[in-house]
Formats: sequence, structure tokens, C-alpha cells
Amino acid sequence: MSASPQSVAAIESPHQLKRFWESGPAAWNKALTSPRAMIPFFLVAFAVPLVLQWVEDNSSWIGAQYWTLILATCAMYACLAVALNLVVGYAGLLNLGFIAFFGIGSYAYALVASDQIHQRYPFWAALLVVIAVTLAFALLVGVPALRLRGDYLAIVTLGFGLIMRDLILDLDRPPVLAGHQLGPDGLNITGGTNGIHNVEPFNLPMNLPILGPVPHFRMYYWIFVGFLALCIFCMLRWRNSRTGRAWVAIRDDELAARAMGVNTFKYRLLAFSVSAVMAGIVGMINAAQIFNAFPSPNFDVQTTVVVFIMVILGGLGSLPGAILGAIAFTVPPFVLQQFVFYKYLVISLVLVAVMIYRPEGLLGTVSIRPRQTMGGTLELITAEAAVEASELPAVTDAEAADLEAAAGAIVEDPEWKT
Amino acid sequence: MSEPSAVLQIRGLTRRFGGLTAVDRFDVDVNSGEIVSLVGPNGAGKTTVFNLISGVLRPTTGSIRLNGRELVGEPAHRITRHGVARTFQNIRVFPQLTVRENILLGTHHWTRSGMLGSVTFWPPTTRAERAAQAEVETAIDLFRERLEPRLEDPAFALSYANRRRTEIARALAARPKLLLLDEPAAGMNPYERLEMAGLIRSMRDRGLTIFLIEHHMPLVMEISDRVIVMDHGVKIAEGLPKEVRGNPRVIEAYLGRRAATA
Repeated sequence: MSASPQSVAAIESPHQLKRFWESGPAAWNKALTSPRAMIPFFLVAFAVPLVLQWVEDNSSWIGAQYWTLILATCAMYACLAVALNLVVGYAGLLNLGFIAFFGIGSYAYALVASDQIHQRYPFWAALLVVIAVTLAFALLVGVPALRLRGDYLAIVTLGFGLIMRDLILDLDRPPVLAGHQLGPDGLNITGGTNGIHNVEPFNLPMNLPILGPVPHFRMYYWIFVGFLALCIFCMLRWRNSRTGRAWVAIRDDELAARAMGVNTFKYRLLAFSVSAVMAGIVGMINAAQIFNAFPSPNFDVQTTVVVFIMVILGGLGSLPGAILGAIAFTVPPFVLQQFVFYKYLVISLVLVAVMIYRPEGLLGTVSIRPRQTMGGTLELITAEAAVEASELPAVTDAEAADLEAAAGAIVEDPEWKT
Repeated sequence: MSEPSAVLQIRGLTRRFGGLTAVDRFDVDVNSGEIVSLVGPNGAGKTTVFNLISGVLRPTTGSIRLNGRELVGEPAHRITRHGVARTFQNIRVFPQLTVRENILLGTHHWTRSGMLGSVTFWPPTTRAERAAQAEVETAIDLFRERLEPRLEDPAFALSYANRRRTEIARALAARPKLLLLDEPAAGMNPYERLEMAGLIRSMRDRGLTIFLIEHHMPLVMEISDRVIVMDHGVKIAEGLPKEVRGNPRVIEAYLGRRAATA
């Protein structure tokens, strides 16, 4: 909406490049999220598997499918990171149960697209089911939890994630409540530790015009990239609208946001549930891609941590940062595959170095710190804001001087004695 | 005392924090188009009164009416919708938002635009956004040469005085009937303070009703239509600036008994 002309201006000379580098992360984000950067990025992302295939066809190298799958994983995590960035980066809500919504989405799709409960819905009906189910769970957790203050939200959402994992593991047999068995013997909803198998992929035309027959792995890579593009588009529109401004305002200063007429509970709930639904849809695509819904990566706390690392590494509140974090955290483990023992060492060292030298993340402008006063939100601080805090005593001194002057005026001003 | 033109009418307002009575049976009327100042020593309960009016705190007892509508019990965001906007003593601009976005927050409660509307370029949403952007231009009218060059800068990069101006512009963009200013001139240099006095007057001339807390006495004396003095949560004097400053109870509150009798 309010893109300033200088930051989106063409960068042509080395001098401009240097100035761009010096303009800092806020300007980088603006430039990287402009259509001039985003459209080429997604065109390249779209073309990458075709290039890999071409190289494979014309050389002795094989690995087009392998690398496309890695990139699909990468795109999937980028979608999750963008969704998590909405709730943590924009609205400042520490949602540690985030990945449960991904799992819920995958199971909701698996249930209506497999023989598990003998339901096979068409794509759009299944999508509606996934949205409705993740939204219902988001409201179930969000409505009570978002009224909580401070770190309690993190505790409640973490607990929710763990409960969902146990629920999925135990629902392979009929639940027993207070001695009463609910449902018939042999009722198996979630498949327990095995998960749900033989999930139907989306019913899509696999023979596209121009591109010809598209193999399954490439199709799902494109679906993920397409969904990522959709998410990014929505995020950019929201960030520059009334809704997004309200989110960031609540994160920055909840009291002031309320004083400006923002219904803070409503907007926090919106951010929480929209991000959950996005994660649910990513879970649905994942289940269709791998024909399965598994309890293990889909509900693991570790997976939440991985997505959190991506968002924080890339920079809270930064969309290019979330994509960068996803790439930086999914691709290197495969490249470093041969150094099995050292790969986590290398990754940890890189993370530690980033946190020391750029605590606000690669492209972020804010670093994270729990809010002391009020909220259910995180306080995100800037280096500049920290300097301001140290200036505060000077301000109060000035106020004190004012006060003395005022008191002096009472006795010294000759008019006062009339 | 209840004239029909009273915009704000407070009766028997009391707020206790445990054993401390921060505001004690406080009454006030603020009439339309008036500048009323609330003064008093530190800890007198002035900011508590503002927090009670704007809904940040709930009163223990008492009534607050805005144009006859009871505000007590309403959540803070709805009170803003009824027409009360405020600024804070320790400036509370949104540091990560740009100056423009900060001021746009003021338009939040009177614009209607949802998440679906903004992704689908739904015409009413686009119109609402355009109306909000136009309001920014109106709101910064009084600060044009100060804020216009900084509109796209994040608020944390602003000077102290510019943050105050941003905060006031944000409150103006909320199109309030009653504007509460909590120490608008605190920490400003004499020149900026003079500018602030002119600013408050021109806001009044545009039809706003202004209720302000201020420590800087010459400023209060110069711009106020009426002055209310508080001490220990109680209103100790009320009247024209000239009347109030001769009041021995006021001098005692500020400087102690000896100064008052000297």
C-alpha cells in the first residue's frame, strides 16, 4: 500500500547495491517482498524441477526426483514457517502447539480420503472438512487460552500439542470414559502408532497441457510452492491492511492498541486460528503427497521446534526470512548427509553464531523477549528501542525539572500574588 | 451543575487499590469545546482518572458519562468507539509500525475491513483503506512539516517530541469527541512547549473537547478554560486559572503548609 519509492527503486549500480546493504533489514524486507522480487522468485521455484529433469535427461547425473522431493519438503516447511510467522512474528503469540494443527489437518484429510472409516470425499469437500476441523480445534484451544496472560499461553498450547499426540496414539481403540466404552469393539479411528495408510492423493489431471505428463513428486512440489505463494500473497495483503496493523500493534503495545479501539481478543484469536488453518491445509497436502498420515513427525514437539528455529533464524515478522529459514534448515542436512555425526554439530554452531551476532534473525528487525507487564503476547524489542530505555531516566529528570519550574512559578511569578 | 452541553460528566468516581484510595469521590464536568486541565502533585491520582475514563481500569464506584452514555463497565476498545481518544504519559506509539501505520491505527475503530476483503480486493475494503489513508493526511495537518518527512519511518526511530506528535495525530485520527492528553508537553523544550500550546488551542478550535493533565504551570495557566486541582485522590480546587492559583489549599498541596501561610 504505502511502499516508498526509494526502497523499491531499481538497483543498478554497485553504489546503489552498497546503499541497499546499508539500509538495513526493514528495507531489505520491503524490497524482497515487492512483486519485483516475489514474481521472479516463484517463477524460478516453479522451473527448478524442470531444470533438474533436463539435467538428468542430458547427463549421467541422476537425482532429479530426490532433489525435487527435498525441495518439496523445503516448500512445505516454508509454508509452515510463514503460518507460524503470522502467529508469533505478527501477533506475538507464543504458540508451542503449532505443529498439532499440521497433524490435525493431515489426519482429518486421511480420514475422509482412505478406507480407515470408509469415507472418500472429493477434493473440495475434503478441503472443507480439513478447514472446519482445524478451525474447530483452534477455537477450542484459542478461546480460553488467548485470555491468559504472559507465558501461560505457551504452556497451554504446549500441553495441547502433547495431548493431541497422545490422543492420536490412543484412538486406535475405542475410548473408555469412566468405565464406559464409547463406540463398538474394534473401533479404530487413527491407527495408533501405525498411522493411516493408503490415503488417496488429490484427484488431479496428471497430464497437463504443454508440460505433458507430470509425475506425482513434481506435482506435489508445485502444489506446495503454489500454496506458499498463496500464503505469502495473503500475508502481504494482511500486513498492509487494518487487520495486520492491528496484529503488530497488539504485539508492540497491547494497552495502546486497546486504547485505539482494537478488540485485542478478537484479533489474537483471528491470528491464532488463521495460522492453524494454514498449517492444517499444509498437513492435508502432506498426507496426500506421502499417501499416509503418521503420528510421529506430524505431532512431535521437535517439529514445532524446527519450525520455530526457521522463523527465528530467518527473522520474526519477516516473510523472506521465513522462506530463507526453511531453506537453510531443510537443505543443508541433506547436503551434509555423509557427515552424519557432524551435521547437527555444524547446524548448532551456525545457530549459536546467528543468535550471538544477529539475535533478531537474518532478516528480522526485532528480537524476542517475554513481556513483563501484560498480555499473552511476546515483547519484541529492537536494538534502537533498547537504547531508548536507557534514555528514560534523562526524560524523567527533565520532567522533574519541569515540575520544579512549575512549583517555582507558583511562588516566583509576581502575578500569583494578585 | 449538569448543563446540557457537558460532554463528559463524572460523578462520585472512586478507585481503590487495596487500602489506597487513588481517586476519591471525584466529580467533574467537561463542557463541549472546553480545555480543562487536571493538575496536582505527583501521585495525586490524575493518571488514574484518565485510566478510569478510557477503560484501562474499572472504577470501584461512580459513574462516567460521555454525552449522557454511561461508560463504566464498557471494555476499553468500545469506549474508544464511543468517542474518547487518549495519549499516554510515557508515550506509547507502536515502535515497529511506521508513523503512517501508527496514525492508521487511530482509524481502526471507524473503518470496516476484514481479512477476506483485503485478499480479494473487495471494493468496500479498498474504499475503507483509502478513507483511512486520507484521514492520515487530515490528522497530520497540524504537524505537517514535522511528521510528513517521517511518515514512512518506523516510530522507534523518531525523536521524543515527534513520538508525542505521532501519538496525538493517532488520537486525532480516531475522530474523538473528547481528547485526553496525559502530560503532552513533558520532556519538551520551551520552544516545543510553545508549539504544543498553540496546537492544543487549534485542536479545540476545530471543535474538540480537551481534558489534559499537565505539570508545566505556565502552559496550564495560558491555555486552560478551567483548572481542576487534585491531591491524594481528592479534588481540592476547581475554577478559572486565575482563581485556582491563588487558592491556599493548592499552594499547600504543592509546597507544604508553611509556603501557603507565608
